[in-house]
Amino acid sequence: MAYSDKVIDHYNNPRNVGQLDKSSTEVGTGLVGAPECGDVMRLQIRVNPETQVIEEAKFKTFGCGSAIASSSLATEWIKGRTVDDALAIKNTDIVKELSLPPVKIHCSVLAEDAIRAAIGDWKKKNSVAETADAAAVAH
Amino acid sequence: MLKVLDSAVPIPCWSCSIGHNDSTLFCPHCSKIQPPPGGNYFSVFGLEPRLNLDLPALEHEFHRLSRKVHPDRFARAGENERQWSLADTALLNDAYRTLKDPLHRTEYLLKLEGAEIGEEFAAPAGRGAENGKDRKDPSRVPADLLEEVFELNMQLEEMRMARKMGEEDPALQASLEQAKRKFDGLLVEVDQNLHIEWQAWDEGDAAARKRAQKTMLALLDRRRYLSNLVRDVTETLGA
Repeated sequence: MAYSDKVIDHYNNPRNVGQLDKSSTEVGTGLVGAPECGDVMRLQIRVNPETQVIEEAKFKTFGCGSAIASSSLATEWIKGRTVDDALAIKNTDIVKELSLPPVKIHCSVLAEDAIRAAIGDWKKKNSVAETADAAAVAH
Repeated sequence: MLKVLDSAVPIPCWSCSIGHNDSTLFCPHCSKIQPPPGGNYFSVFGLEPRLNLDLPALEHEFHRLSRKVHPDRFARAGENERQWSLADTALLNDAYRTLKDPLHRTEYLLKLEGAEIGEEFAAPAGRGAENGKDRKDPSRVPADLLEEVFELNMQLEEMRMARKMGEEDPALQASLEQAKRKFDGLLVEVDQNLHIEWQAWDEGDAAARKRAQKTMLALLDRRRYLSNLVRDVTETLGA
């Protein structure tokens, strides 16, 4: 099976590889894994507490080319978005952008889950802000 | 893959026309070889699906049947019979190879029961996410291991880098060896738990079987994850 050019590009030049300070309240960490292939993915975000904009995103993925490309693309996409905007990213968007074949769709699901997990962790750390925000949306 | 037929419906023998069970390789009346049987890998050996198997008896039956369908015996038979003996031989080989291996046997039985196993079904938070189906079964990720798995991968990467630079790091090596022992131990634990579920499935009613199937699927996932890790660690340490 051949990888698409975009997958190869992300694989050879992964964007935003690295680590953020896990203990910071502005940082959310998502750690997810796929049991079938043994892939593990850590995705971290640093959120501006004033604007709720994701100002920095870092990842580290152990897995196949598609998993690395999916997480690399995910960090690119969420940077500059608000937390709520980032949650709108669907794994199918990643599949489309990277032309992932059916057997590699789970890599994109992993990336989407990593985004959700990172945002979930950040929300948990900042529970007050989250309820205030949810209330604002509800009214 | 075997064709699935209702083995309760008798099939007339092509040679003597007397009806017989579809899972049999030979007509019980005239002893002529029959078209490749329906059913499953268990029924080929005259067994009910079960997980605890008498392996010496299975091997014995495999050899006995293999001799009976051996293509050499049909060298002078009609074209159909020759084809069937080839097909039966291939079928027996596949069936035996699958059933004698505990993990392949477990996966095969779970597939017979409708489970989806394999990378094409893989999705960390459940399958069918692509076509908008509900995500379910997040329990398939061994979440308790994620932190350790991630750490281990970091160490493995560090080890490979050090190796590339021609450096040795005894502390890292020791830590990896320790991790390998731990994950080896977890594998043994998973296999022990699988055996408990085999028993539960073999002896249980429909509800107990359903429960055992669910547990076995989770155990197989965990096993795959662990054995991939152990393989990576072994490769890196042995490099």
